[in-house]
Amino acid sequence: MARFLELLKTGPISGFRLRTKLLLLALTTLALPWAGCQYAREMETVLRESEQQSLLAVTTTIAGSLKGRKELLFRADSLPGNGGERDITPMVLTGAPLIDGRADDWDSDARSLVRAVGPGGDSLRLLAATHERWLYLALLVHDNRWIFDASDLNSLDPGTLGDRVWLAFDDKRGGQQRLFFGSTGPGPVRARRIETLEYGRETAVEEPRIEGVWQRSPDGWVLEIGVPLSMIGQHLGVLIDDRDRRGAPRASYGTLEASDLRATGRLVAASPDLNDHLRQFAQPGVELRVASASGALLTRLDAPALPGDYTKLRGFLPRMYRLFFDGSIIPRSVSQAERERAAQELTARAARGKAATTLVAGRYENSVIVAAAAPIFSADGKQILGVIQLAQTADRWLTLRDRALTRLLNLTLFVTLFAVGAAFWFAGRMTLRISRLGAAAETALGREGNLARNLPETESRDELGDLSRSFSSLLGRLDEYTGYLRTLAGKLAHEIRTPLTIIRSSLENLESEAQASGGMGQAPGGLGENAKVYIARAREGSERLGAILAAMGAATRVEEAITHSDRQRFDLAALVRATVDAYGGAFPNRRFACVVPPEAVELNGAPDLIVQMLDKLVDNAVDFSADGATISITLQADAAQAEISVANPGPPLPAEASTRLFESLWQSRAEPDKRPHFGLGLYIVRLIAEFHGGTAQAANLPDNSGAVFSVRLAR
Amino acid sequence: MKKSIAIVEDERAIRDNYAAAFAREGYAVRGYPNRREAMTAFAARLPDLAVIDISLEDEPEGGFELCRELRGMSAELPIIFLTARDSELDAVSGLRLGADDFLTKDLSLAHLIARVNALFRRVDALRRPPEEKQVIRRGALTLDSERMSVLWNNEVVLLSLTEFWIVYALTKHPGHVKNRQQLMDAANVVLDDNTITSHIKRIRRKFQVVDEKFDAVHTVYGMGYRWVE
Repeated sequence: MARFLELLKTGPISGFRLRTKLLLLALTTLALPWAGCQYAREMETVLRESEQQSLLAVTTTIAGSLKGRKELLFRADSLPGNGGERDITPMVLTGAPLIDGRADDWDSDARSLVRAVGPGGDSLRLLAATHERWLYLALLVHDNRWIFDASDLNSLDPGTLGDRVWLAFDDKRGGQQRLFFGSTGPGPVRARRIETLEYGRETAVEEPRIEGVWQRSPDGWVLEIGVPLSMIGQHLGVLIDDRDRRGAPRASYGTLEASDLRATGRLVAASPDLNDHLRQFAQPGVELRVASASGALLTRLDAPALPGDYTKLRGFLPRMYRLFFDGSIIPRSVSQAERERAAQELTARAARGKAATTLVAGRYENSVIVAAAAPIFSADGKQILGVIQLAQTADRWLTLRDRALTRLLNLTLFVTLFAVGAAFWFAGRMTLRISRLGAAAETALGREGNLARNLPETESRDELGDLSRSFSSLLGRLDEYTGYLRTLAGKLAHEIRTPLTIIRSSLENLESEAQASGGMGQAPGGLGENAKVYIARAREGSERLGAILAAMGAATRVEEAITHSDRQRFDLAALVRATVDAYGGAFPNRRFACVVPPEAVELNGAPDLIVQMLDKLVDNAVDFSADGATISITLQADAAQAEISVANPGPPLPAEASTRLFESLWQSRAEPDKRPHFGLGLYIVRLIAEFHGGTAQAANLPDNSGAVFSVRLAR
Repeated sequence: MKKSIAIVEDERAIRDNYAAAFAREGYAVRGYPNRREAMTAFAARLPDLAVIDISLEDEPEGGFELCRELRGMSAELPIIFLTARDSELDAVSGLRLGADDFLTKDLSLAHLIARVNALFRRVDALRRPPEEKQVIRRGALTLDSERMSVLWNNEVVLLSLTEFWIVYALTKHPGHVKNRQQLMDAANVVLDDNTITSHIKRIRRKFQVVDEKFDAVHTVYGMGYRWVE
């Protein structure tokens, strides 16, 4: 604390004006919004954590409801992950792909990709995806030659056949469905199945529920198929009959058994009932996902729209606040892929057997998604069937926080502005009062007379009032003191005069007696030679004492003379000229230079006093200059005032002299000379100048070769 | 018969010193410390001349009062005021009590005696018929050096002894500048410059009482004064 106070006194702000200091002090109210922000952040953390916890609780509950219900999760009777390489794990799309024979709107997900290699460098990449109630397949085939059927009509005639694609799956009733795609050219194709009519006659029947488009690709061809999930049981596979020319023997490759076209690869996907089961947990703003333990997404329930308006606040101030106070806790916006990766990471964490929660940046800046994931255990609790993940945008509490924060900041900003304004006003007023008091005190000290009466603030009841009153009484005492000092000389002179008169008259009597008796011969009363010397010395002493008394009373006499003076109009120029002429006789050891305007300078004043003033100034100049020096006396006049300057070569004035020279009882003589000095000469000059409505000033000559005293008189 | 002088002065040492000086000159001297004792004595017998201090014991201006009462008893009795303060000179002149002179106590005994002698001479002169040769005429001014009286346009100007001597010195050689020292010598006083200035001022004022246009005393700045006809 002491060090702080010390710092206040000597530190960088000690040089500031009071107003600046108070202003800086007022700025400390800016700590209010900072504290508010800290509070809002705390609140936000609590909100977020509780949101995460509640979401986690919901997630765990849903996971509990799915415990052991393998059949609800998967189509396949066996668990995913330990199947063969022919298993198809479709990805879950957020939107249905356009069935157009182009694969560029598919994500290539490694899990949903099945590869098969055919003869002659041909290969198949099979992409699978689900959306809602559809299964989509994309067959990306590298084939150096795409052979079309010769005709649609006799599609079972081996001689007319071109490249053909088989799609086989088991249906829910356990039967095997085998469908093929064959085409006479690029474009939409229908799946057809071979039905055996009576007499063993076979015919191809179109399956209207399955859609497909077959297109050429740079390195072969692409077949895109949409199949309703309801048709498919647990296994699914495709097979390509590749022919190098129409009717040639086929070279088959794919995920079906080439011999009997039986599907052995499982379709690892959510059971059709899963969505219905999950829908009962649907909440506004909450997205549900179920993934297999290996991380493959089984299904996703998109969030129904959030009720109410939780959009971000707009405007300049909220933006500024967010800029300043949103720290690192809110991640910046991230891409869809990054969000997906974060969701997968969370799933992977849950797949290790423990419920987990995380924060993911949302699609927009400053939006946040809270996600929680929990493992779904098997009935005996030893196996993890899958993972359920819930994601919820945190926009709601973020917006709430933003609103609270904005309101708080607006309020504190207003308060701060008010406080700064009030401090500025207060400081300004205080500074004004103090400087007024300071100025008054300074001028009060500078002049004689009634010092104490005119101080401002003496009526105030605060500390400044106290200060002013202290000043007042101090100045009052100072006034009394200087008044006493000023009159002391006069009083002393008067008091000493009576005993001096006694001494003097006694001496005169003594001399007269001596002469009288001496004249009558050697009478006893006669004085010897020695006694005469002593009398002479005593007389000399008493005369000097008389001179001292006269000097001491000089100021008093001038003050009295001033009170009795009458003003008259006279020519100052003529007066100065005549007076300076006379000084030549009075001071033969000095030269006098007189610069006076040729025309008359009319002045309304007391010429006797002016002469006396000049005498004092010239006396002073003579005292401080050497023999033979030239004292220059200058008179200048304009319409309003006349200025008389007396300049003499000699020592420069001491530094403190310029303000004090004209005060009573002040002198700066280094060596006492024989004449008595009481520092009254220049004081008399000032009295006379002030009587003429003017001022007296002293300065050094520009080259410090002497001093110049000037008196301004109002005309 | 010896001329009698009354000294009214509360400071005993000064009173006795003055008395001794006057006695040496052959005057009969009586001293009184205060107004009451002085008045008691004056009621019995008036002195031929009175020297009065202004402040008397407990009365700061008792001398003025005494002067007024004395003047009431005799119009011709010469009265000299003694003051300790220069400033009182102004007060005395302002009161115009009819004193014949006022002096500061700085004045030497020799000068004081010169004045007393001069005043006695004047009293004697007033009793004789005026002698023309002693009279100086300068325009409107008529100055009788024997009687120490001044007339302006045949009207009496009441000057004190000091003032008379200053006017006399100025008018003796009209047009000549008399500096302050010369004036002081003429008036048998030792005064500082201020006092000479105020004497001149008073002289002008007294003349202006009988003639508003009076402007015969000129100031020569830095030098002194001269009489202009």
